[in-house]
Amino acid sequence: MTRLRGVILTVLLAVLVFCAIDVVSAQAAPFGAPHPAGAMSAAGFTGWIFAQQAAFYRSLSGFIRASKEDGAAMWSLFGISFLYGVFHAVGPGHGKAVISSYLVANEETWRRGVVLSFASAGIQSVVAIVVVAIAAVLLGATAKAIGLTVHLVEIVSYGLVILIGLRLFYVKGRSFLLACRELTWTPAPVLALTSGHSSKTLRLPTSRLGPMTMRGGLCMVDGCAGHEHGFHCHDDHHASAWGHAHGPEPTELAGAGGWRRGLSAVIAVGLRPCSGAIIVLIFALAQDLFWTGVGATLIMGLGTAVTVAAIATLAMSARQIASRVAGTRAGFGMLTMRAVEVGAAALIVAFGALLLAGYMASEQLWMFTG
Amino acid sequence: MMRHACSCTCAVLLLFLSFDRAEAHPHVWVTFHSEVLYAADGSLTGVRHAWTFDDMFSAYALQGLSHQKKGQYTREELASLAQLNVESLKEYGYFTFARADGKKLKFLDPVDYWLEYNNATLTLHFTLPLKEAATAKAMQIEVYDPTIFVDFEFAKDRPVSLSGAPQCLLTYDMPHQPTPAEQLRLGQLDSDPLGISSTYGEIFANKILVKCP
Repeated sequence: MTRLRGVILTVLLAVLVFCAIDVVSAQAAPFGAPHPAGAMSAAGFTGWIFAQQAAFYRSLSGFIRASKEDGAAMWSLFGISFLYGVFHAVGPGHGKAVISSYLVANEETWRRGVVLSFASAGIQSVVAIVVVAIAAVLLGATAKAIGLTVHLVEIVSYGLVILIGLRLFYVKGRSFLLACRELTWTPAPVLALTSGHSSKTLRLPTSRLGPMTMRGGLCMVDGCAGHEHGFHCHDDHHASAWGHAHGPEPTELAGAGGWRRGLSAVIAVGLRPCSGAIIVLIFALAQDLFWTGVGATLIMGLGTAVTVAAIATLAMSARQIASRVAGTRAGFGMLTMRAVEVGAAALIVAFGALLLAGYMASEQLWMFTG
Repeated sequence: MMRHACSCTCAVLLLFLSFDRAEAHPHVWVTFHSEVLYAADGSLTGVRHAWTFDDMFSAYALQGLSHQKKGQYTREELASLAQLNVESLKEYGYFTFARADGKKLKFLDPVDYWLEYNNATLTLHFTLPLKEAATAKAMQIEVYDPTIFVDFEFAKDRPVSLSGAPQCLLTYDMPHQPTPAEQLRLGQLDSDPLGISSTYGEIFANKILVKCP
């Protein structure tokens, strides 16, 4: 576990360094005359990353061919596939933004964020394998049919992303509005708390109390913890992604049942296969090395997962810092966190819409084959 | 304090957003030869392309195509795919952009198109006739994919050739390294996509220049 964390942190660091260099390069020459020495070398680093990625991809075909005769070449192929996955996921279309926004909106745990990232990358690989296995291996479909299938799956995936975003936006938006109202109702809970346990006195303010009981920790700040059979801070109004009024406690979320919530996001994101994986699989199939292609695709997914997990971790750490800071200011702090969640949910909708409109996706497998 | 938390979150949201960007990551590599066609009267009539796809994309394009002998495809067996290729390419303007003394020229649908299978790669041959033959002192023909999904590269041994205009001088320019400003723009493609009239992708263009007296 600690080793895994170490690996993730190392990758995170690498990503940060990459990003920092990128930012420096961007600032070094803002639209003006390019600074020949310094700026070019920094920009060259970004270029280098993508040149590497292209080189990895192009070398894949050679390694696939070589592994036909030489078993050892297969291990080189897997190594290159992993690196290609890591580098490639920095590019668009691997659900980093959607997954990260989702995790930020839902206040997920670090561990779960990593698992969800790996799951979405895993599904992405499996979908590519299933599409090629069914369409190409079983049905002998043409590139046109496969391109069309991928296109359809893509549209479904983007549609699901929008739906999840809208759902989350609704739930979080409501929480935000309730949190707003709660601020104006602050005196009410204080009165209710001091008025004892009588169910009659409690019934009236409970509906107003709802909003402030959404986050366990914050509830305690407001002094409602310890009321065993009064109103249940942790249980009653914890708004989950699916808007259940009776959401689980944070500790329960880590259990088996809690995973179901994340599954929808993972499926929506992972549904869309990577065109690179499809091409590699079909190329391997043409060399009668389908299973080698399957191995390479799965390992590519592993590489992708590492990058996605690193970026998701980054997003969640930021949220944790923000919520810790916000926690010191009970009222407005909570309001801000709700606002961040609403913003993250809105981002998911925006991503889905942009992807559906074809703005962000540049992988058009059907460019030559209809 | 509050503002700090907020700006911190915003900064990180922006940070990971910036990763989801459309960087140059081609999935198709094309090595091409282009022949610039001139008529006897010294006017440009069209361009004859020969595009060789990389072996992986070739295998992808050939998937499911029925053929007699394993590992061999005749021109007839590839006819339907060639038809599909030129039809699909119409939407992308055949990735060919011509200017006569700076003025944009229009192409008609391709003629004489066929596919050839050799050394595990496909080569698409097609001729793009100009809508109207054009005369100019400086002709510029660019071949590139603005979305960077396809990487075009001049064939090393025989990049370009000229047909029917012995008095003209033919040269070519490979794409230059993107400048930092162009790199920056590249990073903003997601948040600020390229407009239809944008010429940004030109930095990846392979330029063919014909200068006539």
